[in-house]
Amino acid sequence: MIARNVTRGSSADGRVRFAVPKGALFADCVRLLRELGIDIAGLADPGRQLVVQAPEFEFIIGKPSDIPVYVASGAADIGISGKDVLAELELDVVEMVDLGFGGCRFVVAEPEDAHASIEESYRHLGVIRVATKYPRVTEAHFAAKGVQVEIVKLNGNIEIAPLIGIADQVVDITQTGTTLRENRLRIVEDVMPSTARFVANPSSLRTQGGRVEELARRMSELSVQ
Amino acid sequence: MRPVTPRGFRDALPQEAAEREWLVRTMSSVMDSWGYGPVETPVAEEYATLEAGAGSLEGTAFRLFDSDGRLLALRPEMTVPIARLAATRLAGEPGPLRLRYAADVFREQASMRGQARQFAQVGLELIGARGPSADAEVIAVLVESLRSTGLTRFTVGVGTVEVLYAIIAAAGMDDAWGRDVLAASHERNLVGIDALARADGVSEVAAAALRAVPRIRGSRDAIDLCRAAATGCGVDAALDALAGTWDLLEVLGVAESASVDFGIMRSFDYYSGMVLEAYAPGLGLPLGGGGRYDDVMAAFNAPQPAAGFAVGIERLHIALAEQGVAIATPALDAVIGGESADAFVAARRLRGAGWRVRLSDRTGLPLVREALAAQAAEALYATADGDILRLDRSGEPASPLPESPGEPPTRSWAAGEGSR
Repeated sequence: MIARNVTRGSSADGRVRFAVPKGALFADCVRLLRELGIDIAGLADPGRQLVVQAPEFEFIIGKPSDIPVYVASGAADIGISGKDVLAELELDVVEMVDLGFGGCRFVVAEPEDAHASIEESYRHLGVIRVATKYPRVTEAHFAAKGVQVEIVKLNGNIEIAPLIGIADQVVDITQTGTTLRENRLRIVEDVMPSTARFVANPSSLRTQGGRVEELARRMSELSVQ
Repeated sequence: MRPVTPRGFRDALPQEAAEREWLVRTMSSVMDSWGYGPVETPVAEEYATLEAGAGSLEGTAFRLFDSDGRLLALRPEMTVPIARLAATRLAGEPGPLRLRYAADVFREQASMRGQARQFAQVGLELIGARGPSADAEVIAVLVESLRSTGLTRFTVGVGTVEVLYAIIAAAGMDDAWGRDVLAASHERNLVGIDALARADGVSEVAAAALRAVPRIRGSRDAIDLCRAAATGCGVDAALDALAGTWDLLEVLGVAESASVDFGIMRSFDYYSGMVLEAYAPGLGLPLGGGGRYDDVMAAFNAPQPAAGFAVGIERLHIALAEQGVAIATPALDAVIGGESADAFVAARRLRGAGWRVRLSDRTGLPLVREALAAQAAEALYATADGDILRLDRSGEPASPLPESPGEPPTRSWAAGEGSR
């Protein structure tokens, strides 16, 4: 026998593995789980722990952009992930419930005074340079509009890209637009809205004997209220 | 240079390769027992042929130009190549055709995702038969094939794409909306389907059905739940057929390994009726899948109903390992040393008695060590007189084998009490 069940699949004792994103969505996830009446043990204050054992679940705390990877690979059975990350990664997970929290939107933004010059350079050069953390969403958006772009993939501080001259426009997620405004960027277009989603591994959905559906049902009842 | 395989392609070394071979052979013999004969098709096909059968292959198929400038593709799956073969080479044969295959397929994958680009598949196609008995046969052979490998915990989800098509037709919306619904189901995006159900102008019955149906899973009762949830959408004929299929699965004793699942939408566009996906607990990806593809043969001017499935050998292998199923591949029975001519003659005698024997130019203790390393049951030495001597653990000659060597040993002498 080859012992691989340590690294993949549901935990050895049959508890469901639940991937929870750290960062902006974490507090809302904890609140949601409490509202559902789930015993979350030490999840609310995990310290440096990345795996938290609770009676019904094994919680795995991960980077938001890694949650869909955990779930699609089956390392976690279920998880909570922003639609922004799901749209970018396009992995095979079942998007079960729109949880309503973590609202933000993908926008196209450019320097406040640059509109005329970007149009001008598009006329001459036929391409706009766009900086983003989300190359796939960006590519799909501009392709649907028939605008030719060159995408510059950056890993952070997208809003400074036009200031340092690496790109003409940016595609980024924003909640209030404050960071963009502070960097003298103006929103010129909405790409898509995003909220947190409850996602499941397609195989776990079918092999966990209805537990995942039951959880999804209770979550959607909560998010309707 | 230190050569490497291209990204997404890999080698299989003897232990793994032997286990994979066993899986293929075991499942193939189940299919054989149902009357399926093997076929082989070329690794490369005309790109236009594949696209005519499967729809868009953008981003899926490995494409290449040959020296005539023709656009070819490595087969991304086996259904379309076998449909081509059936529509052309077997056009005159009285059906139904029962064909099986064990073949490698190739899919392009974005870089940096660590995904394989070559997959071994075992599967079958039943061409020229329709209705519950044909669907049930395909499902039953799949279940029996998986069981034959020793896999105990798995589920074959069975649904039908006709239900979703009927609901879309009953919605009274334009084609673009229908395509969006299909795209959302391919992505398993239930949130997206709910949003499309709320769109202006969607008929009430279709909206209610869209929200409920993709979540319905269960046993026979799921068919009734679906019928109730999609009342007025014209799904009765499809559900009656599915119920007929399920009855046969119960008769065949495979229903306990199956479930009715209206959430299954396969990623290839050609499915037209029954669809199926096999899942094992703890394996995040389906073991395999398939379904009915009645329109593919029509694309090759040979309209005929058809259905089939494919199982991924890599995924099945992982699932078996997860479930603690050891694949017993035959080990070496003996390593034999001695003068070349003596050893050859002695080894032939042993092989004639059904032994697996490896020749070695070592003697004494090194020969014993080699046998231990190879997990062979015996370390032997052939003498000039035609005797075959067993070596004990210190490499000294011990008892000779009898004149006629008999059955191969079943237990290693190293595991037991010295030389047997």
